Amino acid sequence: MTDDFVRILDGNTFVVSDSRGDIEASPTDPTGLFAYDTRFLSSWVLTVDGNRLTALSTDDLQYYESRFFLVPGTGTVYVDAKLSVIRQRVVGEGFRERLTILNHDDKPVDLNVRISAASDFADLFEVKDALEKKGKYYTRAESDRLLLGYERQTFHRETEITTSEPARITEHGLTFAVHVEPHAEWSTDLRVTPAVLWPDGRRTVLSSRSGRKPEAMDKDLHAWLAAAPKLECDRDQLKLTYRRSLVDLAALRFSPLIAARHSLPAAGLPWFMTMFGRDSIFTSLQALPFVPDLAATTLKVLGRWQGTRVDDFRDEDPGRILHEMRYGELSAFEERPHTPYYGTADATPLYVVLLDEYERWTGDRTLVRALELEARLALEWIDRYADLMGNGYISYRRRNEKTGLENQCWKDSWDSISYHDGRLPGFPRATAELQGYAYDAKLRGARLARLAWNDPAYADRLEAQAADLKRRFNHDFWVEDGKYYALALDADGAQVDALASNIGHLLWSGIVDKSRAKALAAHLVGPRLFSGWGVRTLAEGEGRYNPIGYHVGTVWPFDNSFVAWGLRRYGFKEEAARVAAGILDAAEFFQGRLPEAFGGYHRSVTRYPVQYPTACSPQAWSTGAPLLLLRTMLGLEPLGEHLVVDPALPAGIGRLELLDIPGRWGRIDAFGRGRVKVG
Amino acid sequence: MTDPTAEFFQRLSTRGYEPMLRDAKATVRFDIKDRKRVERWSLHIDEGNLRVSKNSAGADTVVTAERTVFDGLASGEVNAMSAFLRGELIVEGDPELLVLIQRLFPAPPRKQDRQPVPAGGGRSS
Repeated sequence: MTDDFVRILDGNTFVVSDSRGDIEASPTDPTGLFAYDTRFLSSWVLTVDGNRLTALSTDDLQYYESRFFLVPGTGTVYVDAKLSVIRQRVVGEGFRERLTILNHDDKPVDLNVRISAASDFADLFEVKDALEKKGKYYTRAESDRLLLGYERQTFHRETEITTSEPARITEHGLTFAVHVEPHAEWSTDLRVTPAVLWPDGRRTVLSSRSGRKPEAMDKDLHAWLAAAPKLECDRDQLKLTYRRSLVDLAALRFSPLIAARHSLPAAGLPWFMTMFGRDSIFTSLQALPFVPDLAATTLKVLGRWQGTRVDDFRDEDPGRILHEMRYGELSAFEERPHTPYYGTADATPLYVVLLDEYERWTGDRTLVRALELEARLALEWIDRYADLMGNGYISYRRRNEKTGLENQCWKDSWDSISYHDGRLPGFPRATAELQGYAYDAKLRGARLARLAWNDPAYADRLEAQAADLKRRFNHDFWVEDGKYYALALDADGAQVDALASNIGHLLWSGIVDKSRAKALAAHLVGPRLFSGWGVRTLAEGEGRYNPIGYHVGTVWPFDNSFVAWGLRRYGFKEEAARVAAGILDAAEFFQGRLPEAFGGYHRSVTRYPVQYPTACSPQAWSTGAPLLLLRTMLGLEPLGEHLVVDPALPAGIGRLELLDIPGRWGRIDAFGRGRVKVG
Repeated sequence: MTDPTAEFFQRLSTRGYEPMLRDAKATVRFDIKDRKRVERWSLHIDEGNLRVSKNSAGADTVVTAERTVFDGLASGEVNAMSAFLRGELIVEGDPELLVLIQRLFPAPPRKQDRQPVPAGGGRSS
């Protein structure tokens, strides 16, 4: 997506248009109005007297609202400055658009104003992969509305377009005969509403958060910002990044059908505006010191959808936490397995990690007790269903060979897991960070078992298993020549010996033997992994290293935030500050909104971070990265009923204050000064 | 002739306590349409305690489906969430209950060729 597009969003409803506000989607690009993974509007073009308009300026007023200032005529022809046109658009239940025409002349004017509209009802997967439709379209022009519809058997989706001012409505759009007096204006309110039609005649309007009207959104955003800690800092750019993160996190919230009034973050615009197990958990972890409620909702909703059966098509097992939920046509007709799809090997142990971390911050034992069954089932999944090789490690191999995911770890592209020489291992694969998550989950599960489940025997068992896992892991994964842990074990139990950012996650999980942590820290900020902006997904010098390869050389802000946390966990404050400084510097080049990933080129080569071509933005766990980096820089760590503050800030930051940090202590302030030279 | 729907409710009536539904207190009525006839079953959930009846009064949520669809759900051949998105399973009332109820349906029958291969299959490249 180029940056000429204007995007507004609210949870999983979003509109992407050009800078004039027009939508002219091709089958393969993600422009249009989307709700619940379906495109409800693929064409929406405004003309005045048959001419397209020219954008003078576009204002992103809020994440859910934009305003387009236009004049008739296109760039190369005469621009009639006697008229201006304003389109103000708010996303909510579909979107509303107020179209206003101002006559600056001292003579009245008569205009033919037209909006053409159409929808291809593409499933977002079809847009991504350019697939053909199997159902039938219809359009119905009524006296007061235009209906665009799509039916395939009982699957029925419809877009309703209405206007407050009278229009001549045809199957192709709305035409207004507009008369504007001198120095006067004309306007109409247009509404585009996406709906599901049920066979019994009922209709459900699709909105991100049920029952909420656009008017309430402004209030809601203010309340969200007011509840978060305040950041004071010498560096204005950091304040901007912080605010951007909070606002984008608010924008990405949605209620996935069953969360009542609660909401959790969708993963990212435009491809991943839905519930992801892994992304929701990582984002909730990042945001815990700031907006702890996200974690509670994530735990509840993912718990409700926890797997209950063995379903090969969905890669579901009992106790497994879902990977991805989709609501579009391909999922409905089981051409894709996402209702939901369970093919992830990390979300399940991470679920237990989040539950424990949530309790450490909030002291909410009620939720820990309420989710005891889910947590136990998750821990059981690790031993009973995830040990595909019978060697005591989590590994993965998809059972859905057609549409399932090959790589079920966070680096889920096809070539992400490779040997040093570039070969790809067979399956199953036991990637390193999965073992770290399992170790951490067992220890945290043990803590919860003693604290809230009254089962010390279970806690003892989990701790013994964790200790055994750590011992075996440090033996089997350690690459003695290179002084790091292998990326994975292959199906023969041999090391997949590439050096990758995964070693940072191992520090975060605590599975690393203390004596080896120093070598890992040196790698993470060393020349092969560290680009100057951040830690690369794969080290320079590896066979598949490519600075713009999705998981084989780019820098992921989310990844780096957990690497920094891992470095802090083992006491490497300065190294953690270096990583934080690089990522936060990069954020400034993106106006505070970190993309999913950027190029792994060295900082001295490009001088600015090169965005990965099809990266998602905003993306929840990139949005969460600055939050977690603030936590690691300030050294925030709950200890009993208290919050420990142990700052190690990069020198460029100056003074930093984070005020009113919520938690089991009530509200607490943290202060720090930039002293760490990051060079 | 087998009747997967009747067998499903039969099994449900002996299930007793189901911890996965421990948060719910509701009565869900299933309207199963078979040409002109409608077969009604009610599932009473009281904090996880399940009771099945043919009493059709006082439902909080009504789930409607054709007999073929419901037989498919009852035997694991049809996935509830997919059927819901297709419009084959209609929920009137609290859609959240559908998420809980779908956990009661059995697993799909497994095909032999989808069984996981034993470990140690060797490198593919």
